[in-house]
Amino acid sequence: MTEREKLAMLEDLFEMEEGSLATDMELADVDEYDSMSKLSLIVMMEDEFGVSLDGAAIREFHTVGDIVALMEK
Amino acid sequence: MLKNIYKGIKVTGIAAAVSNRWQSTEEAASHLDQTRDFNLEKFVKSTGVKGRYLCMERQTPADFCVAAADRLLREKGVNREEIGILLYVTQSPDYRSPATACVMQQRLGLSINCVAFDINMGCSGFVVGLNTVSALLAGSDTEKALLLCGDLTGQDLNRDAVSNDYYYLFGDAGAAILVEKNHTNVDELMILSATDGGGLKAISSPGGLWRHPTWKYGCAMDGVEVFNFGINRAPEMIKEYMRIQGTKPDDYDKLVLHQANLYMMKQVAKRSGFDKEKMSVSIEEFGNTSSVSIPISIVHDYGEQTMAEPKRFLCCGFGVGLSWAAVEIVLSPNQIYPLIHTDEYFEDGLEENY
Repeated sequence: MTEREKLAMLEDLFEMEEGSLATDMELADVDEYDSMSKLSLIVMMEDEFGVSLDGAAIREFHTVGDIVALMEK
Repeated sequence: MLKNIYKGIKVTGIAAAVSNRWQSTEEAASHLDQTRDFNLEKFVKSTGVKGRYLCMERQTPADFCVAAADRLLREKGVNREEIGILLYVTQSPDYRSPATACVMQQRLGLSINCVAFDINMGCSGFVVGLNTVSALLAGSDTEKALLLCGDLTGQDLNRDAVSNDYYYLFGDAGAAILVEKNHTNVDELMILSATDGGGLKAISSPGGLWRHPTWKYGCAMDGVEVFNFGINRAPEMIKEYMRIQGTKPDDYDKLVLHQANLYMMKQVAKRSGFDKEKMSVSIEEFGNTSSVSIPISIVHDYGEQTMAEPKRFLCCGFGVGLSWAAVEIVLSPNQIYPLIHTDEYFEDGLEENY
């Protein structure tokens, strides 16, 4: 899976326009990355990548790239 | 997981009550400070809450429980002298003391030969309450018990229901459940329970009591922790319940989950092997009503139906504690009564400036 495909998954998950995310973007600047999006992210990461995220792991995410780095099949 | 089994103890009736004051999420949000970042459409889609019922000015959930219990006892033709156990499950009691259940004993006209007390449980409260009532009933010389579940979670002590979007998830309601001994049909009632007090920081309302008397922030909730807890622990327990009973999702008419939020419920149902069509959904109308959410969902689905054919409900409550518990109950729609609306409240005669 390419980096662009992973970003597209996140854009779909956060209900954003295609092409609006980049790995160096700060999550604090992404309005759509809110408490409800975090719940969707937990489910997607576990279902699609077998990665379990707890609250501490979520708090460690600072950029979009931090999430993308864990999206490995 | 703790396993309890009771022989010859049955739930024989359910009723539930709310006020006439239904507030849509949209209307509530119109009162929000406009600088506050709140996405109404996303909130409704994710949580499922289109609105919720709120207590009237001087009402408490005990008023809903008394109305529901009154209706239940009348419909079932139960002699009030026969009720030996009255348990009120609530996190919003009328008083610090006495236990609200003691006052309800008198309000409902029950015999004084009756034990009445409150327990402080939330989302798992219906199942934990049923466990408590069943244990008391099994070891007693009485034949009937009343389990009441009530909570006021959609507003704060100042009756503010709109200033914080946290309130929009929650509603106010009450339910009454009749539990009886059955000497001819000794089917087993099995209950699974679990507790993880390490989850204090995940959900708590610490204010106003002895540990944090000056706490100013209302309910504290870590949504991610609660979500992770719910989508892992609840399916684990539901699957264990079916393993012990030798049942599968198709054997049940409804999966009745605590109405935490719709997105979480869908994940719990999916991970438990249930189609989402089998999952009871009442959160759209009532919001999350804490311990009332399971009985009020059953009323929502079957309260208007009158057939005598039994339905099997697999119920799982999970949340504050952290506490989670599961039970199967079998009820016919003619034992489930239509939703009651009441704006009445109890005048207890206590003077504010005593």
